[in-house]
Amino acid sequence: MTSTVLEFNSEIAGLFGKEVMERSGQNLYACYQCKRCASGCPAGEDAEYVTPDRLIRNIIMGDREKALNNLLVWKCVSCYTCGTRCPNNIHSSRITETLKKMSKESHLKPLRPKVFFFHDTFIKNSLRWGRVNELEFMGLFEIMNTLNVLKKRVVKPIIDEIINQAKFGLSMVKKKRLHPGFQASKGRHEIRRLYKKENKKWK
Amino acid sequence: MEIAYYPGCSLHSSSALYDLQTRLVLKKLGINLNEISDWNCCGATSAGKIDDFLAVIMPARNLGIADASGFPEMVIPCSACYSKTLMAQKHLENDLDLKNKINAEFSKKVTGSIKISSILEVLLANLNELTGQANKKLIGLKPVCYYGCMLTRFPYDLPVPDNVENPKGMETILKTLDANPIDWSYKTDCCGASASVNDEEMAFSLMSKIMQDALARGANCFVVTCPMCQLNMDAYQDKFCEKHGIDKRLPVFFITECVGLALGMGIKELQIDRHFIDGEGLLKELDIV
Ligand code: SF4
Ligand code: SF4
Repeated sequence: MTSTVLEFNSEIAGLFGKEVMERSGQNLYACYQCKRCASGCPAGEDAEYVTPDRLIRNIIMGDREKALNNLLVWKCVSCYTCGTRCPNNIHSSRITETLKKMSKESHLKPLRPKVFFFHDTFIKNSLRWGRVNELEFMGLFEIMNTLNVLKKRVVKPIIDEIINQAKFGLSMVKKKRLHPGFQASKGRHEIRRLYKKENKKWK
Repeated sequence: MEIAYYPGCSLHSSSALYDLQTRLVLKKLGINLNEISDWNCCGATSAGKIDDFLAVIMPARNLGIADASGFPEMVIPCSACYSKTLMAQKHLENDLDLKNKINAEFSKKVTGSIKISSILEVLLANLNELTGQANKKLIGLKPVCYYGCMLTRFPYDLPVPDNVENPKGMETILKTLDANPIDWSYKTDCCGASASVNDEEMAFSLMSKIMQDALARGANCFVVTCPMCQLNMDAYQDKFCEKHGIDKRLPVFFITECVGLALGMGIKELQIDRHFIDGEGLLKELDIV
């Protein structure tokens, strides 16, 4: 038999945990694994039971791979239930938001590309015009998805998606819920200027 | 009374009916809405997932315009815009360094003076006026009041004007209008928000649970304040019900529609005919219109 020890590697565990805590503003050391967050999390079941408590545990243990590459990061709907119920006021939505950004910086492929394309296209569209133009935004989002699925060289899901979205778009038109009108805000220039000036990077 | 107004992108597009109803109803109650000039998108739930800096500076620009407008209060009917703007205001109260950077660049400066209100706060503050003017009783309307996530839960230290897990603002308003709101368990559960577009299966399962509880309690409609909840529960209802074997359908009314009806306004005037799930039938059956 061998006697085994779980050794602490401060470099791995410490630095990674520190970065997540600093960027999310959440003190994960306060978590005592009571799982109150898990019981109210609407995404947990769908995220193969990677619930907020598990995610926090992975971060504290310094398991970068598991923390950055799991379904909760991409399935979290930012409903804020976990944080409202946590006896230590830890808001895991701010952790999943931070991990999305960190996984992108580490050039990891998002486990749910559609979720990433959605938010990315939304912000690009809102910065482009200052306001979101739903028609253009949804069009670009669908193009991003199609290109991504095309890489896998399967056509059926693309056709299904196009038919699905066209049907939905038509019903939106019928109920006058889709506006062909265009909206913009000149303030976009102010926002972009400040963004540039602060040397913020986002591609 | 004059107050500032931030509609946000969705009230200028897919939920334009909510914009119109808000203006009509509040005007009738003696509140004039002053849409702040050249407002921009607040970043919604997407900005925080892409870039922390953007998540603050996008709503901050609107806050600067609102502060400079001189009005004491600004109403934001969309829950996402309300939540993001309120959080940015709180963030800048604590982060003076960032506030200075923003104020050095933006032409309208953030002072933090304006009070951000949800549509419920404004309606509740004018409840006497509303009961005084209401000429149509909403008898027979048995709504479940659906608040969703962003009206009462915040990942910041913020005072919340209602109970976080069991808010009652909508029930209070509807009861004074003689409707019979029904108690239920999914008041503040999540509809999936943008997951209806980017993670359909999960969103449909969340929405079907909300629907099933509403039906089990004997409700005959939903009442909401959030345009995202309204669009999700309304536009996708046929789809998620079919997928989860639910036969019945329930109209999804905005709170402004219920208030407008009680004030004697009609279906066309309020544009209730722009719903996916028909609400007209129920309102006629109950003799409300
Ligand atoms: S509720 Fe809070 S303390 Fe309990 S497991 Fe979740 S994060 Fe940790
Ligand atoms: S905010 Fe995210 S992690 Fe927290 S309960 Fe909601 S879905 Fe789960």
